[in-house]
Amino acid sequence: MTPSLRALSLLALAAAFGAGCRTREDTRAASRLILRYQPLGPDPAPFRELVASFERETGMEVELQALPNGADLAHQLLVTSLGAGGEDMDVFVLDVVWVAELARAGWLADLSDAFPPARVREEFLAGPAAAVVQGDRTFAVPWYVDVGLLYYRTDLVPEPPRTYAALAAAIRAAQAEAPGIAGYVWQGRQYEGLSCNFFEALWGHGGEALEGDRLRLDTPAARAALGWLRELVADGLSPRSVVTAAEEDARRAFQEGRAAFMRNWPYAWPLLQDPASPVRGKVGVAPLPGETGPAPGALGGWQLAISSRAPPARRAAAARLVAHLTSAGANAVLAIHYGRNPARRAAYDDPRVRAEAPFIAGLLPLVERARPRPVTPYYMLAADSLQGELSAAVSGLRLPAEALGRAQAQADAIAGVAR
Amino acid sequence: MTARSERRLGAALVVPAGAVLALVALGPLLATAWLSLRHRVPVLGEDRFVGLGNYRGLAADARFWGALANTAYFTGLSVALELLLALPLALALHHAGRGRGALRAAVLVPWILPTVVAAKLWALLLQPDLGLVARLWPGGAAAVLARPMLALHAAILVDVWKTTPFVALLLLAGLQAIPEDLARAARVDGASGGRVFRSITLPLLRPAILLALLFRSLDAFRVFDVVFVLTEGGPGHTTEPLSLYAYKTLLRAGSFGRGAAISLVTFLCVVAIGLAWLSALGERRHAEAPP
Repeated sequence: MTPSLRALSLLALAAAFGAGCRTREDTRAASRLILRYQPLGPDPAPFRELVASFERETGMEVELQALPNGADLAHQLLVTSLGAGGEDMDVFVLDVVWVAELARAGWLADLSDAFPPARVREEFLAGPAAAVVQGDRTFAVPWYVDVGLLYYRTDLVPEPPRTYAALAAAIRAAQAEAPGIAGYVWQGRQYEGLSCNFFEALWGHGGEALEGDRLRLDTPAARAALGWLRELVADGLSPRSVVTAAEEDARRAFQEGRAAFMRNWPYAWPLLQDPASPVRGKVGVAPLPGETGPAPGALGGWQLAISSRAPPARRAAAARLVAHLTSAGANAVLAIHYGRNPARRAAYDDPRVRAEAPFIAGLLPLVERARPRPVTPYYMLAADSLQGELSAAVSGLRLPAEALGRAQAQADAIAGVAR
Repeated sequence: MTARSERRLGAALVVPAGAVLALVALGPLLATAWLSLRHRVPVLGEDRFVGLGNYRGLAADARFWGALANTAYFTGLSVALELLLALPLALALHHAGRGRGALRAAVLVPWILPTVVAAKLWALLLQPDLGLVARLWPGGAAAVLARPMLALHAAILVDVWKTTPFVALLLLAGLQAIPEDLARAARVDGASGGRVFRSITLPLLRPAILLALLFRSLDAFRVFDVVFVLTEGGPGHTTEPLSLYAYKTLLRAGSFGRGAAISLVTFLCVVAIGLAWLSALGERRHAEAPP
């Protein structure tokens, strides 16, 4: 049998046994909550303490269950479990691009009472707030955020470039100074990271990817953006290997001193500043360049949501857990101990964060401008074919116009069938 | 016992095994076939009968034909290379004198490694900045996995590296089943080493070779892990085999009906390959049978 056939038969078995398990589920005490999340770092103690303080305050019990760190795998697990009507979780984490999809499927509890949309928009950063509020209802609460950044070598680049033209000039200048160094490394492998790089280039070229509910991929700005990414490789401003690079490949090349510029998430910063790092003390961070000025970075990061299958008794308790874990205090704990950027604006002014995680506190202007990838229920369904077409274009297999035309046709087929 | 009651007893004894087979193999297969006739996207809450719509969609889908071509090319080239490399290896192992056991164990190391580990190992070797291949062949191999023509061959290389020992062992078993007297008698009659190999060893080895081809081509046609680790199907789907396309359609794009259709096509291809090899094996047996 093929792996997918095997997966299917497992699904069928799981569905068959689902009925039997449900009776056992009902006996789970209303005071016992299950939280599914991705482990935050090597030391679980600070997070456990955060959960323990909730247990002490409320007398509830929280069972922690780990999800895989790969976003695609975590999505697959959640969708399979929720789609099968599973009641084996109350609170779980969501990537920014999943909220619309799972809310439309009816699998997320409406949190508008505990977290009114107006308050979410006021207290949280604009990007994540836009992702969790659908229509006039709140379906998830932002937990921590991520943003695409431009890293540059301060010893080779006097001033971070604000435009694409300036980036190209700075690369040529750096290569004149340090012969053999690569220019700009980013994520060009066929996976979701490439889509993030593409949307950043799209916004940098003044484009938009959404028209109402419809994904708009075949536009002049999108063709210019994808053409620019392809030219980076074709003109030698980026090494050819970027078309196979994910975050860690780019980070390793940059950390080894092999590249002058890198696009990456904030997680790279502490690694680059490690005592053993060859580029320690020689790295600066800036907003990504754009056609005419700095472009917004793609928003990543995670939200907490409550399963719509959780019975009402547990749902209220789950809302309290979400409130506890997304409080300004919890934001500070995650920033200081795990290097996660707070989703609440106020947390960036927290004296403890400013003292113990100055890099994170300094990112406020960048996360404020971060933008989510298109917020539409069809995004995840179209993501797979979009990744393939983007990859074909950056590796020179197809012209950007042709690749985007194909991606557009596939995205329309998915959304069209749904309407 | 009469012949009839004996047959009845035989049938009764086969029933449990047949039932288990039906439950674990036929059941899921029929479920997949049924699913492939539906348009089902659980996230969108869609589930309706579309007949052969999914198959018509595949027929017009360039990505599907690309995946089919990738899979066929991967299977053909990797199995051919494995056989060509494994035959001399098996002969060497067969004739090795002392230390044959140790040699055989050493040869098996790549086969023992889980495929994902082997693929990850090769991904590191091929890594454009730090990989050994890039160091030994500067410039040329700077990005093997970035070149559409080379990336699929990198996956084939890993498969050949990993599975040649297995094919060699299958052939070795075949070699050891050939009575040594035949070769000795031929030698007495004055046949050269090459002649003995051509006229005695090779024909008698044919069943073992066909068996190896059967095992390997069925296995290679379902390739998933090597490609998943090395390239995830990129760049631009040029290394994507059918099983990876089915997986992505099912679990990433969430389209269960279409994913089931791809799975079923893969299954039918595998069945066709298996039947072709089995009939080749059977023909040989038939030809060998005394008149």
